[in-house]
Amino acid sequence: MKELHFALYAIKKNIQSSAELRTSFLMNIVGMSINNTAFIILWGFFVKSVGVIGGWTVADIIGLQGFAALCFGIVFSAGAGIRKLAEYTASGAFDRFMLSPKNLLVRIATSSFGVSALGDIVFGIVCLGIYTFLIQATIQQILLIVLLVAISTMVFLSAAIVIYSTSFFFTDATSVTGSLFELFLTPSLFHGGAFQGAMRFIFTFAIPSLLIGALPVEIVRDISLGKLLLVSVLATFWFIVSINIFKRAVKRYESSNFMTFGN
Amino acid sequence: MPETKEIVAVNDISFSVKRGERIAFIGPNGAGKSTTIKMLTGILFPTSGTVNILGFDPTKDRKKLAYQIGTVFGQRSQLLPNLPLTDSLEFFGVMYDMPEKEIKKRIVELVELFDLSSFIAQPVRKLSLGQRMRAEVAASLIHKPKIILLDEPTIGLDVVAKKSLRDLLLKINKEENTTIFLTSHDVGDIESLCDRTIVINHGVVIRDLPTQDLAKTFVYEKYIDLVALSNFNNFPELPEGIRYSSKDKNKVTVVVDINKINVQESLKKLLYLFEVEDIDVYNANLETVIRHIYERDSTRN
Repeated sequence: MKELHFALYAIKKNIQSSAELRTSFLMNIVGMSINNTAFIILWGFFVKSVGVIGGWTVADIIGLQGFAALCFGIVFSAGAGIRKLAEYTASGAFDRFMLSPKNLLVRIATSSFGVSALGDIVFGIVCLGIYTFLIQATIQQILLIVLLVAISTMVFLSAAIVIYSTSFFFTDATSVTGSLFELFLTPSLFHGGAFQGAMRFIFTFAIPSLLIGALPVEIVRDISLGKLLLVSVLATFWFIVSINIFKRAVKRYESSNFMTFGN
Repeated sequence: MPETKEIVAVNDISFSVKRGERIAFIGPNGAGKSTTIKMLTGILFPTSGTVNILGFDPTKDRKKLAYQIGTVFGQRSQLLPNLPLTDSLEFFGVMYDMPEKEIKKRIVELVELFDLSSFIAQPVRKLSLGQRMRAEVAASLIHKPKIILLDEPTIGLDVVAKKSLRDLLLKINKEENTTIFLTSHDVGDIESLCDRTIVINHGVVIRDLPTQDLAKTFVYEKYIDLVALSNFNNFPELPEGIRYSSKDKNKVTVVVDINKINVQESLKKLLYLFEVEDIDVYNANLETVIRHIYERDSTRN
């Protein structure tokens, strides 16, 4: 409870801190929403001109973007500190988290607030709303969407922890973590019908990109309890693995003496 | 593949500290001071050996230990830059699970003790360095830690801000019996703040003694001022073990290496060479003594 109380308090303070710079705060939110909308319009034109691939319609693409944007937004708004791990470890700013009496991962995650990710949350909710309307979702499907948002957020968080934990293995890991994150995120935004055979296997089991949006859309569309079980098991597996990797990685921390400032 | 080399930052360091002591942990750049502090606080994991602070092993009980210690890194801020200072103090209070009432009470105490009232409502990024350092120390004391570890807390501060910070540290040591463990390159911090000094170089403790004994123990040189009876017109070559420190027609200062020649013999030879009105014999200041300790140790390695 104490950990949760502090985490919520830290998020509140981060929002206050971001809101101090109001113009930047609003520009970030609006900018990210416009960016995402442009992306979905492009996919809409693509599906209209190419037609249905692997059973995926425009509605499914909107659903996919909704799931991906929402879990991205949730993780990288409240837990934006994870994205800064490479910067923290390279500069030695990570020291201050080691001196905190709180859970290290929670402390790092809540050390920063991603304002632009609020735009992703808004966009994700709107997309999933449109998706629900387009597929004329039943109550069962709506409940599945809610559950799958939670599961895909867990996968996204786990993947982010694993990727940014590599910061402890390199002197300045900013570009490495950036590339690894792109490797994970980009396929998760692609048309789900494009992933078949070996590609589907790799991006489900080795790199969990399809667990973010493609598989949740297929689960809602087909009401597939088998796939729901698979996604749940993989989400739990990735979460346990990510925590273990992070704990081991922290022991490699070497610190440094750059001047740093901040939460 | 790039060639890698393993460097031993700290080797076979051993010391213990009593409650309420004020320790200066000094050494030249790269000696291992920060590494030691980071091991004491659980930031770094030693490859071998044990650390025990207040009954906790920092590698295993990092979180429990954090409730009992406070840390200040002169080159690193822990405060929230965009929010008023009061928010940072409250933030740390919540982080240490203090009840709201207690946080408010402690903030009032710290504001009074550290004289923060004139800038408590200002965003931290707008504070001067001196104000910020006072705020950093205040924030580190919000939970009344038993030990405060400070890594170069006076770096970059002007003389007034330095004195103010030292006075505050002495005050909390006296009033709250907080143990102070400090690294600094500033002799003033050591002289005015610490009752014990541990000298480290190349990752090894080379001296551990009361600060007041530091000068006495490490006096290898004496300074002698010779005030001219009329004027010094020439400056003759000095005997072995004695060298000029400064030459002036009114006053000459010489440095005597007491390993080569004792003071009595030096005076005899100097009085033979110069006609003097007054003589003053004194030890080197602490800064010179510390420099000699570092230099002596580095030539040994």
